[in-house]
Amino acid sequence: MPDRGLPAGCGGCGCVCDDVRVAGASISPACAPGAAWFSQRLEPALPPSRIDGREADPEAALDAAAGILAQADAPLVYGLARTSVEAARSAVGLADRLGALVEPAGAVRDGAGGRAVALRGASTATLGEIRDRAATVVVWREDPLTTHPRLLERLRLDEAQRGARRLVVVDDRETATARSASLHLRVPATGDLDALLALRAAARGLPARAVGALTAQAARRLVDELRGAQNAALLHGSGLAAQPGGHRRVLALHELVRDLSDTCHLVTLALRRDANAAGAEDVLTWQTGFPSAVDLASGAPRSFPGPTSAATRLRAGEVDAVLSVAGDPVVELGGVPAGVPIVALDAVETATTRAARVVFGTAAVGIGAAGTVHRLDGVPVALHAVAAQARPGDDELLRALAARLGGEAQGC
Amino acid sequence: MLRIAGGRVHDPANGVDGAVADVCIADGRIVADVPGHARRIDARGMVVMAGGVDVHAHIAGPAVNAARRVLGGERRADVAMRDRVRRSGTGGTVPSSFVTGHRYALLGYTTVIDAAIAPLAARHALAELRDTPLIDPGFLILLGDNQVVYELIREAGGGTSQTLRDAVAWWLESTGALGVKLVNPGGAERWKRGNGRLTSLDEPVNELGVTPRQVLDALATAAHELGLPHPVHVHCHGLGVAGNARTTLDTMRTLDGRRAHLAHLQFHAYGGRPGGRPRSRAVDLVDALKAQPELTADVGQVMFGPATTITADAQISAVLRDSGDAAWISADTEVETGCGIVPYTYRPSSYTHALQWGIGLELFLLSPDPWRLVLSTDHPNGGSFLSYPRLIRLLMDREYRNDQLRRANEAAIRRTVLLDDLHREYSLNEIAIITRAGPARQLGLADKGHLGVGADADVTVYHDRADREEMFATPRYVIKGGEVVIDDGDLVAAPRGRLLRAGVAHDPEIERTLRPAFERRYTLGFDRYAVSEPWLLEPARRIPAAGERP
Repeated sequence: MPDRGLPAGCGGCGCVCDDVRVAGASISPACAPGAAWFSQRLEPALPPSRIDGREADPEAALDAAAGILAQADAPLVYGLARTSVEAARSAVGLADRLGALVEPAGAVRDGAGGRAVALRGASTATLGEIRDRAATVVVWREDPLTTHPRLLERLRLDEAQRGARRLVVVDDRETATARSASLHLRVPATGDLDALLALRAAARGLPARAVGALTAQAARRLVDELRGAQNAALLHGSGLAAQPGGHRRVLALHELVRDLSDTCHLVTLALRRDANAAGAEDVLTWQTGFPSAVDLASGAPRSFPGPTSAATRLRAGEVDAVLSVAGDPVVELGGVPAGVPIVALDAVETATTRAARVVFGTAAVGIGAAGTVHRLDGVPVALHAVAAQARPGDDELLRALAARLGGEAQGC
Repeated sequence: MLRIAGGRVHDPANGVDGAVADVCIADGRIVADVPGHARRIDARGMVVMAGGVDVHAHIAGPAVNAARRVLGGERRADVAMRDRVRRSGTGGTVPSSFVTGHRYALLGYTTVIDAAIAPLAARHALAELRDTPLIDPGFLILLGDNQVVYELIREAGGGTSQTLRDAVAWWLESTGALGVKLVNPGGAERWKRGNGRLTSLDEPVNELGVTPRQVLDALATAAHELGLPHPVHVHCHGLGVAGNARTTLDTMRTLDGRRAHLAHLQFHAYGGRPGGRPRSRAVDLVDALKAQPELTADVGQVMFGPATTITADAQISAVLRDSGDAAWISADTEVETGCGIVPYTYRPSSYTHALQWGIGLELFLLSPDPWRLVLSTDHPNGGSFLSYPRLIRLLMDREYRNDQLRRANEAAIRRTVLLDDLHREYSLNEIAIITRAGPARQLGLADKGHLGVGADADVTVYHDRADREEMFATPRYVIKGGEVVIDDGDLVAAPRGRLLRAGVAHDPEIERTLRPAFERRYTLGFDRYAVSEPWLLEPARRIPAAGERP
């Protein structure tokens, strides 16, 4: 039953604000992605099930979906970043049985930050740590005021709340966040790697080349500021990671943090776009050992991001069916070849649901279905249903699909 | 129903030391007898023990899962195939969740306690434990750096209070935890403030004015007075640092009169000067432990080979980070704790590593009471749980041990008493104590670690092999909750276990105190903090407080 006392939790972005009041098409506190998240999902946009574009009996749709997956030799399971941890568990369980390739959408939408972490690790912190301790926060080529509109307010970094704390933005765009910053350093997008190396050089007292507004002196000043802070933070995201060679840029960021960690406490926060981007990767990691691009075809997990990435496999024609769970592979993976059947679960119409052979219109997590998501800093947030919707959520639907394929999704 | 017939039974909790007897099982419990038509396992010539119990390991939650991310290399070389009964996964020092359960069971272990979960992440840990089959899991929550706890200690004038007791009980109830863990109290708070260090147990940690000694004292007293099944579980200050034995002894004195468990004692048993070469103070710690019968401990043995350090003691992680060029993770959890992760290898040629290895063996071999000092490697910090069979051989087989001693750094081994004629060889009964009966008793798990009537039917049957490593690495049968899960060394079933959690009452009014403190400090709403989802919490067994036990 919907709980009318507790504020809603929002799946509009990685922040997963859990203090939201929903009234019709507007939400409070106001937030554009949050309002869109709720308004597109409070009233179901899709029928409970559809086969080849026509409304269908849910049982027939389950049979059709199971048939597609059972016949596939190389299915792809994609998405999971806008659904619950529970659904992600069921989806990975199903993928293990099918011998599928699993790609969480976050690794695609947010770029290759995870690959950098796999190589060298990272220093991270939850939101409360950055809010209560970080004296200087550097936002690197991100515009959270637009993409994660309440993040700066929650970190008390908006102009009204930040007091003597400093917000530094590295970006060549005149973004809303840059306009609100204590310092805006204009560095061209092509100069990220050089700029991070210049900061590393400055940290070691070595000469560095100017990169845009980041002159040798500015680099020294920024490094001194971070060192002078007991605790400081670097916020990054797809601006760095979704560029060509993104993982090397993120790697340079983490190496800078490591260089400076001898004298100050420096943390990073990846601005994940989807509410459960972190949760989907967490589930895949604990169940298989790897956060993305996990190929289960051999009977055991193998992951080599690049060769086993979904986009590579699709381009090579090595995927023969797609199970999309609250994702949009047709857009996000650069297309799904005609003839590759798609089974899609989603609460909203997308290019993928339009192209899918079988579609299940499911209840979104935190709206028509309860479930847990791991917000951008990894903190698990339990979302309750705020609307009564006579349709299953993704987890329930995936379990029914697994039962059709003979057995439970979970197994041990 | 099942009869394990004619094996030599080692059940030290019930005074059985190698007697030939039948062990009978019905409805998941040990019973006195079963009818003749019950399934019969012929255990003649074999050794029968209760299922193993791990008192201190790191197997689930965000810290363990973060470690998996930087260990891609070792896990690519150690994949585990799915089959009829089991999910696929990967191994290495930090296996994926399903493989963790499979491999513990393959060693004959059926109960495992994760020793360090940030309460804010309890949902994550519980979800992982749901995906860790074959073991009954439990976990301890980190409260020793919690700033709301510090506020309560300050309000109580630096000690414990009814409010603090209720808060501790509330936290256990709200997370499904079995007990309370303190890691280097105050250390995480300092770490988050620009790597500041604590130099004394009496130095105020931050502006709240609370000292590490007050935290130890207040939480140990609260846990003691609540009668928790497992008392406060303490990771002492200065882990790995030369000279830390002084603080360990000081901590033991501070805990005097209360029940407490000291985690991975080996890592806290060093003499010498900070920054200098460590020496062994195992003898002093064994003596001190002997003098305080209300204390228990696990060893935290270091094993040569690959390991992964995962600790809430983030400061020591930074030291390890700078000692090499491995990956490093630091993860700060608001209000509650820090965390550091560095992959690590212990080498027999290294003075420090050989000394650590030697100190662990000293602790085992000098310990007069196996019930109070039990086996652990602080998995995966001192080495993987997969190295337990080799450790058992080191304890049971003097010739093998002496051979291994000769391979380790000589200067280090000379700093120990291991060359002084330590003839001791653990008996099978003593192994049964340090690997099941002892940990179960320390954890307050009355139904685990023994084979008396009414106990959980978790049973391991071994071939009695002269090579004790081989023997303990390859059980012939493992029975979990009455079901045969290992048959002839093969995993034949992978049932889910049951969560082991404390069942301790608290005054619900405590939420009126906690709510405003939570709303001030956490970025998650108070009403979303407590875990209540049945899929995470059930099935479970609630272990009542000492006073409430039948």
